[in-house]
Amino acid sequence: MSNDEFYIGWQERAPGSFARYTRYVIIVAAVFFAVIGILLALQQKKFSTANFEFGQLTEVKGIYRQFPVPSVKVMTQQDAFGHASYITIPLVGYGKFGAEGTIAELEKEKNTSLDKKQVVFKGTLLYSDGKTLLQIDKNDNPLVSVTTPNSLVNTAPETKELGTIHLTGEVLDPKCYFGVMKPGHGKPHKDCAVRCIAGGMSPVFYVRNEKGETNYYLILDAQGKKMNDELKDYIADPVSIEARAVQYDDWIILYVDGKNKIKRTGGLSWFKSNINDISCSASCTK
Amino acid sequence: MSASYAAVGWNRQKKIYDWLIAGFCTSYLVLFISLSLVFNEQVTFETLLIRSTSTLAVLLLHVILAIGPLCRLNKKFLPLLYNRRHLGVTMFTLSLVHGSFGIFQFHALGNINPILSLLTSNTNFNSLSAFPFQALGFLALVIFFLMAITSHDFWLHHLSPKVWKTLHMFVYLAYFLVVMHVMLGVIQYESNPVFVIIIFAGATTLVTLHLLSGIKERKTDNRQFALQQQGFVYVCGVKDIENSRAKIFCIDKERIAVYRHENKLFAVHNVCKHQGGPLGEGKILDGCITCPWHGYQYLPQNGQSPPPFREKVSTYDVKIVDNKVWLNPAASAEGTERPGAEIKD
Repeated sequence: MSNDEFYIGWQERAPGSFARYTRYVIIVAAVFFAVIGILLALQQKKFSTANFEFGQLTEVKGIYRQFPVPSVKVMTQQDAFGHASYITIPLVGYGKFGAEGTIAELEKEKNTSLDKKQVVFKGTLLYSDGKTLLQIDKNDNPLVSVTTPNSLVNTAPETKELGTIHLTGEVLDPKCYFGVMKPGHGKPHKDCAVRCIAGGMSPVFYVRNEKGETNYYLILDAQGKKMNDELKDYIADPVSIEARAVQYDDWIILYVDGKNKIKRTGGLSWFKSNINDISCSASCTK
Repeated sequence: MSASYAAVGWNRQKKIYDWLIAGFCTSYLVLFISLSLVFNEQVTFETLLIRSTSTLAVLLLHVILAIGPLCRLNKKFLPLLYNRRHLGVTMFTLSLVHGSFGIFQFHALGNINPILSLLTSNTNFNSLSAFPFQALGFLALVIFFLMAITSHDFWLHHLSPKVWKTLHMFVYLAYFLVVMHVMLGVIQYESNPVFVIIIFAGATTLVTLHLLSGIKERKTDNRQFALQQQGFVYVCGVKDIENSRAKIFCIDKERIAVYRHENKLFAVHNVCKHQGGPLGEGKILDGCITCPWHGYQYLPQNGQSPPPFREKVSTYDVKIVDNKVWLNPAASAEGTERPGAEIKD
């Protein structure tokens, strides 16, 4: 740099040597930005195939049950022996709320309990990995019809005791995980899951075994009541749970006898895949 | 340097600078979003927006923090420094988009106020792995906001350079908060080590640059001045100082710039009143000492900015004996006229 060359920003032009050097810096910076951008974009974890049919309303017909979670059991078809197959669709509310509030309003409006009634709900479907949920929003006039079925024999829940099991997995909110958000689990989504579960959404325990198979469990306390508040400190962290498991139609319920049956197993995951922390000691039953 | 305040004092260089910022940011966002869409078909708009703006903001933050030490190590980086505040405001805007969508996505439509939700949803302060990383990002965003709204010279003048500089030094705290926001947040989810490596490389680069520039300045600061006569300290030979340029000497922990101008030597305090730029690394232009950072000017004989400007720096007595330069480190009041020392051939 000669003694004559001096850079001042308020001058119209930079001295020649400064201008040349800056051009060189800009080229290097452009390459650097591009390399970093490509690396970051390509190295992101793959997004799930979960779907939220935003803006699209679907009518779902089935038997509504309040227990274990607000849900509609939809009979899909019958085999040659007349046995019906079905899918249980848990209901969730608008935003970060469970469906109970909307259901209570509908029951008040119709002046009848919806429990064990045949209903047609209109709402937004969300689904992933074999599970389907329905968002019902009061603004969509979600209750199309409600009737008392002639018989509940064919739609009675099939239950089976699975004994006490130990599982390691993640407590998450089903609405985000099965459709609304990507990612809908893990640390980045933690606060949202806390908010959703605080809003009454039924917590789900997400478990993955060594083969990569996944399983999803509904969590209730030992008396079959919600334990959303007690779960707050464990949401979205790798935790182990000891619980009595009961198959309830196509979902498994974990009856957890208090917070002392839940333990955080995590640790920083800067250099390891935290998905390995999530494991299933019982065979996946899906 | 301007006698009145305008939103932006546009000139050709500033326009080029801002067009480059816009070009870089647009290109990065297009590249990131396009690649994500092509290789991750299931990606959602909200996540793309949150991730593209956040990664770009972190990248820009590294550039912003690297510019200072780079300029101390090599003057050729000065064109990047002059409009660095534009880079800062751009980085804040991107952070704001990231933060706003994050707060809406993760905290809105719930049973409590979104900001309250952000501060109370996760209270695992005693666990590193479960630590509430979003609160760290929010705190960093508040710091960036305060810096962005005070980035104009109007605030520099009204807050006083000392307060303004102190406020803007909080960028280092904000940087630490951002690093922890990333490390305890998304990196707990992403299993690929490339993200950790990039963050560590960025932090290491910044620490190294700051250390190198600090070492360079310490060499000047640590020089011992042995010969003293009647309060004057021998600092160098007359020929060591080029015409219209200065040499910096650190005596009793004060940096003093000795300038050579029109066959005379003048000494002024080395710290510019604008943003603390090193006046001794400047040059005399139009009879004025000109700061290399933002071009603020002072008259060498009295340390005063030429009218209508009112900035003033301390002046010092200097004398020449047998072609040796002697400097009195006792400062005269800011703006005090000193005769300087005449150079005799």
